[in-house]
This record gives sequence, C-alpha cells and structure tokens, in this order.
Amino acid sequence: MSRTSAIVSLQNVGLRYGKGREVLRDVNLDLEAGSFHFLTGPSGAGKTSLLRLLFLTKKPTRGLISMFGQDMATLSRRNLPKIRRRIGVVFQDFRLLDHLTTYENIALPLRVAGQKPKDYRDNVHELLNWVGLADYADVYPPVLSGGEKQRVAIARAVITQPDLLLADEPTGNVDPAMALRLLRLFAELNKFGTTIIIATHDSHLIAKAKRPVLMLNDGQVEHR
Amino acid sequence: MANRSKNKQQKRVRSLMPRSQMPLRTLMVSMTVMCYLACLAIGALVLITRAVNDWSSEIAGEVTVQVRPSDDVKMSEKLTVIAAILDKTAGVSSYEILDKQAGAKLLEPWLGNADILDQLPVPRLVAVSIDQKALPDFVLLESELKAKVTGASLDTHRRWQAELTRMGDSLVWLGVGVLILITASAIALVIFASRTALDANRQVVEVLHLVGASDPFIARQVQWQFLRAGLQSGLAGVLVGMATFVLLGISSGGPASSGLADASYGLLIGAPEVTSVTYLLFLLVPIVATFLCLVAARLAILRILSNAD
Repeated sequence: MSRTSAIVSLQNVGLRYGKGREVLRDVNLDLEAGSFHFLTGPSGAGKTSLLRLLFLTKKPTRGLISMFGQDMATLSRRNLPKIRRRIGVVFQDFRLLDHLTTYENIALPLRVAGQKPKDYRDNVHELLNWVGLADYADVYPPVLSGGEKQRVAIARAVITQPDLLLADEPTGNVDPAMALRLLRLFAELNKFGTTIIIATHDSHLIAKAKRPVLMLNDGQVEHR
Repeated sequence: MANRSKNKQQKRVRSLMPRSQMPLRTLMVSMTVMCYLACLAIGALVLITRAVNDWSSEIAGEVTVQVRPSDDVKMSEKLTVIAAILDKTAGVSSYEILDKQAGAKLLEPWLGNADILDQLPVPRLVAVSIDQKALPDFVLLESELKAKVTGASLDTHRRWQAELTRMGDSLVWLGVGVLILITASAIALVIFASRTALDANRQVVEVLHLVGASDPFIARQVQWQFLRAGLQSGLAGVLVGMATFVLLGISSGGPASSGLADASYGLLIGAPEVTSVTYLLFLLVPIVATFLCLVAARLAILRILSNAD
C-alpha cells in the first residue's frame, strides 16, 4: 500500500489509560483513500480505543498519527474542527442530543458547518427516508427504540458525505434486514469516495460485505 | 406528514444548548439585584453631585463684609464708607447691610436670646451678591476695605467652598467604587453561570466538538442566551430602581416636601436638565449589563473549553 495515498496513517502507535497496561501496542496502519475495512476482534481487544484515536478524542501515548496528510501531534486546537468535519462517527451509544428532534440531530453537522436550513432540508429528508425514519422527523430520541436511535446516529454521521466514516458497532441494535440495508448505505457512500472503517463483532455482516478485515488482537492489528 | 414536518422544521432553528439546563433563572435574579444596586448607586451619585453643586454655587454667589465696632468711628459711618466702596466695585450685583438684630440672630444658637448681646461688640455684616460671570477683584476690594474702614474684613467663603467640594468629591469616588464592586461581582456571577452552563451541557458540548464545532461556535450557543438574560435583568433592575426613587419621592408628600424625598422626586420627575442626566445614566445600566453578560460569558466559555483538554 502506498503511504502517499494513505488518508489515515498510524506508526508504532501505543495507548494506555493512566498507569494501566497498554491497550494498543505498536499499531501500524495505512488506510488508502476510498478503502472499506472492517475492524474486528474479541471484546477488550482495543477496537473502541483505536476508534477514539481516529476520531481524535484521545491522543496516543506514543507513536505518530497522520490524517489527511497532517500530523495530529502538531495540529492546533483551532484547526481540529476542520479535520473533524471530514470525519463521520457512529458511536456505540449513539450520542444523540435528547432536546433536538430526529431531523435536527441528523442536520447537526451541517448546521455546525454553517449551512443554511433551506440548503440542507431536502438532503436530510432524503436520508431520513433512506434509513426508514421519514415519519419520525419531529420525534425526540428518548421515545425512539435502540434500532431507530442507531439509524439516526448513522444518518448524522453520513449526512455530510465525510471523507472518513468511523462506525462502532453500527448494526448492533437493528434486525438483519436493516443491517444489510445500512451496509448498502455504507457501500454507496464508499463508492463516492468515503473511506470507511466499521468496528463490529457481526461475522455474518463481514462475510456478506466481502471487504478487508483488520483484526485487533491483544492491542495489535493484523490485516486479513 | 412528511410535508407537514418539513414546514415545521423550516420555521424553527432551535438553540443547540437547552435553556432548561442553564442556570439562567438564577443568573437573572442575581443580575437584577446587581442592576438594582447599580441604579441606587447612580441615583445617589447624581443626588450628591447636584447637592454639592447647588451649595457651592450658593456660596460662590455671595461674599460677606464684616466690620467690627471701634471707639474712634461710629458704625453708621463705617457702613456708609463700605456702601460707597461696594457701589463703585465692578462685579457687585447688590448688597444688603444686615441690621444689628439680624447679626444677633446669627449668634443666638451659641449665646441664646439674651440682652447680653446688646452689650457685646457684635460685628455688623454686609451680604454682598456678586456677578459670577464677572467676578470682582477680591484682593483689591479687601485691601480698599481695610484701608478705608477700621475693623473691616472680607470673607469670600472660599475655604467652605473648598471643604464642600472635597467632601463631595470623596462621596462621588465612594459611589464610583461601589459601582466598580457591583460590576466586578456581576462579572464573577456570569463566569460562574457560564461554567455551570457548560457543566450541565457537558454531553452536548462533547457531541458538538465531535461533529466539528469550534470553540467560538459553542460559545455562541451560550452567549446569546446570556445576552438576553443580561438585557432582561438590566431592564428589570432599572425599573425597580426607578420605582424606588419615585416611591421615596411621593411617600413624603410629593414635590412640596423637602430633604431626601424632594431630591429623589426631582431625580426622575423634576427639571429636564436633571432628569435627562438621570435617565441617560439609568439607560446605561441595561446596556452595560447586556454587554457584560455577552462578553464575560464568551470569554469564560472560550477559556474553559481551551483548558478542558
């Protein structure tokens, strides 16, 4: 894999929480722009920690992380939002804002990016249709089921057509049919150039997608 | 249904920080009290400045010629010479020779209403009104009086005027100090409320950061709500402050009464040259409160967010 076309590059990255043991050890990883990977491994292997490093809520205790050609160690706080706007994130615990409607939650990244409501309204409704929540636009997250919340979280992550999509167990709360539908959404997005990493335990989904797998085991990454 | 919801979304753009999770009510109550205190301090400052100016101009508009009795010249002759000198002195508007009873009356508080005053060499006084636009030459007047009238002296009241001005200045500085303390307390309040607002919305802030919001964007979500709270508190504080002065004025019988009530009444319902200053200063209170809430909240939030990582 050519390092020059890598959208994400990790070199000898290590991460530990406090004075505990290293949860990630000597991780070396280059993700080419437009690639689609699954990230899997046993529970506690460090999948969520690796994703945290990639969506920039954690800094590595050692090693180098480079994203979109920029060294994250030298990235100023002022420039951090510009990088984050190029990344879409689906959290395992959804992290929806309970005081905003489904529509407003999905439109949040566009609003933060400074777009006007009239410019994104149709896109948001189209995506609501895609994820099967067209009738839930004015509903607040607390009354949604786990699966519905998950679909809102996915819609929020993909609404900006980000350069990089990171998803932590995005199909964990939906039925197999919806999981496949969401997988098609990710694949569609990938066709348009979005680099995708999906952390999942769902071996059925991995088998269906026929995409390369990053196996995380005992803090280290193996390509499969 | 889809169309209906589209229309609903079209109309509203909700704040990203829920108002219910911000300490806005507490902030408004505290800021209203601060603005009310600021109004009282401003009112007191205007009252003091007005009183000192009135007293000073009263004193400055008059001088007194005092003449002590002597054995060699009759008092009536002395007074005639003094009158002649005053008549030809430029800058003297008018004068009044106070009779012996008037002089004795001034000494009554110390000596009582006794016949002994007739036996004492009580000085006679001449109250001289001066033209404040073209003041007489006091040095020349005093030297002429002393040269031509034995026992005559001129009291220009300058010492009292200086004392009064000094006292007035001290009170004004005290008032300004109180206003500075009120402002400092208000800033501390806004900083504390900003921190509480961020703590209460920690999850919202985290999500906003993750979807690419910058610190100034997050600060804007809070600062406009604080601005509104500042404006409402400022207006409420000023209204209550003005009501206090009006009540003080009318509680003692309206404009005909005297003392503090009269002065309070005059602050808001008196002559336009006084009330315009009062209203202008009172108007500054909500403006300053609004600006202070906006700026202090923004700076506090930016600082807290930048220190958070």
